Amino acid sequence: MASTSTVKVLQKVGMGGITGNRYAIYVSCAVLAVLLVVPSLHNGYIENLMRGVLMFATLSLGWNLIGGYTGYVSFGNVVFFGVGATTSAVLWQHFQQQNILLAIVVAAFVAALMALVLGFPILRLKGHYFGIATLGIALATQEIIANIDWLGGGSVTSIRQVDFFSSYYYAMWAICALSLGATWFIARSKFGYALVAIRENEEAAAILGVDATKYKVFAWMISAMMAAAAGAVFAGANGSIDSPTAFAVDNNVFPIVMAILGGVGTVAGPLVGAFVLTAINETLWSRFPEIHTLFFGAVIVIVVLFLPRGILWLFAVRGGFRGFVNSLKAYRV
Amino acid sequence: MDLFFQILVNGILAGGIFAVVALGFSLVWGIMNIINLAHGSFLMLGAYVAYALFANYHVDPFLSIPVAFIVMFVFGYLVQKYIINFVVRAPILTTFLLTFGLSLLLINAALLVFHGDIKGIATSYSGANFSLGAVVVPWVKLWTLVAALVITALMQLFLTGTKTGRAIRATSMDIGAAQLSGVRVAHLYAIVFGLGSGLAGAAGVLVSLSYSLQPSMGEPFLIKAFVVCVLGGLGSVQGALVGGVLYGILEAFGSQYIGTGLQDAVALVVLLIVLIVRPTGIMGKATA
Repeated sequence: MASTSTVKVLQKVGMGGITGNRYAIYVSCAVLAVLLVVPSLHNGYIENLMRGVLMFATLSLGWNLIGGYTGYVSFGNVVFFGVGATTSAVLWQHFQQQNILLAIVVAAFVAALMALVLGFPILRLKGHYFGIATLGIALATQEIIANIDWLGGGSVTSIRQVDFFSSYYYAMWAICALSLGATWFIARSKFGYALVAIRENEEAAAILGVDATKYKVFAWMISAMMAAAAGAVFAGANGSIDSPTAFAVDNNVFPIVMAILGGVGTVAGPLVGAFVLTAINETLWSRFPEIHTLFFGAVIVIVVLFLPRGILWLFAVRGGFRGFVNSLKAYRV
Repeated sequence: MDLFFQILVNGILAGGIFAVVALGFSLVWGIMNIINLAHGSFLMLGAYVAYALFANYHVDPFLSIPVAFIVMFVFGYLVQKYIINFVVRAPILTTFLLTFGLSLLLINAALLVFHGDIKGIATSYSGANFSLGAVVVPWVKLWTLVAALVITALMQLFLTGTKTGRAIRATSMDIGAAQLSGVRVAHLYAIVFGLGSGLAGAAGVLVSLSYSLQPSMGEPFLIKAFVVCVLGGLGSVQGALVGGVLYGILEAFGSQYIGTGLQDAVALVVLLIVLIVRPTGIMGKATA
């Protein structure tokens, strides 16, 4: 399917090829390995913070698969996170199940099914229209869940936590590591090349024999499973869930911001973005508790102006500082 | 049947505001390919301009519309010229992130300056209404709709009748050809963004007449603008008007017959159906 010339083109348009900078991936794996020791520090603050980073990294990796690799920019991937969180709550409320693994599996299954059913009509839409459709799905699903009592309705649903609380941390870690591994594997596979071919030119990809609909729906299903798994664990760790929390705007926008910050369409970009953004946010939060969100907004504006294609893009720039400045000029009018 | 007409009228009256909100959003998106997530915060700033004039100098909010438009036009012009123009040719996600940051910045700056408490504009005619048969029409809402129609008509006249308007439409068709014909794209983009934020400011004044004011008031309208753009078709003035009114009607009927909690869901499900059946919007062109 992917001829040699296609691969060469991909290496030109991508940031050092389809996977992105390989050292960034190694560093990400190393950082993930180090994060495994966090619960043994017995510091509640750090454990919560890092579970948050892992959660957002997972959401961002999931978004990156459909928004970054396939080029179908979803503005509503939070819907799968919310569905995952709701699944967790329903399992406890109606079936008295507090098993993390079971919650993850059921949530991922429900989300994948949803992506499959919605994917066929929605993924036919191009560009902006797909984005708006996904936003519509997210908002509509939130309202519908908030109006169905069996699903928790508009109220707060509590979930009994497992006895060993750090289980939630390890579960989130495993999901994040699996998502990173899956992205890496996909990016190097025929499937990944098909996705990038769809992103670059869907018609051309179809002519080359890529069954675009099948690949797009499949990519969205995997993306949905990542988000739903993170949502299921989040709900358990949180101990309760309501639909404004499950479908929070932050859970929708932050993963996108993180992927862009790290580098869209690279394996390690979302993880890098999740760490950098959380680090910025936490620093501002501790230094300027009153106005940290204001500074956060300003930081985003500055970062975009100087790193319009993300941090990993720096590794792809040739020609030192002058090359960097020249590359920025390409986006001006 | 009376109830039916009452809901229909309520929907149409609400739709005027949605149309103006969506008009600026659609213009910026359609012409420059920028999804302006700060549109809601521009709307909020416009509303606070009206509030400041009303509270300090007792200026009627309807008279503040041009003031808010001009203030926000200048603001938007500067934002585009000195910030967004530097990355406007990058992929759409870049400007998406940039305007997200901008919106965080503006909302929180407003929180510092105006504080978080809920404010409102109560004019002498705020509670007044008249009856049309069994249908009750509040004066404020009627004048809001009239103002919205005037703003939309002026915008259409500007885009079709003036040299700058024609340059804007030419640039949206083919930026290279427009440049060769002597259009200064950087300046023109700044004007387009200025118009977009000016319209958001004007919409903010209209919103301030019927809704309460607080720094995050613009966000629900941002989402409505998204939907209206699709219903009407991107970058089209008539489309924004039709889409806005249609959305208003949908929302009014949805909240009456299906439940207040589900009013947005109804509109959004309709949106999805429209998207699937007719992806370029009701008023959109066949090719896109």
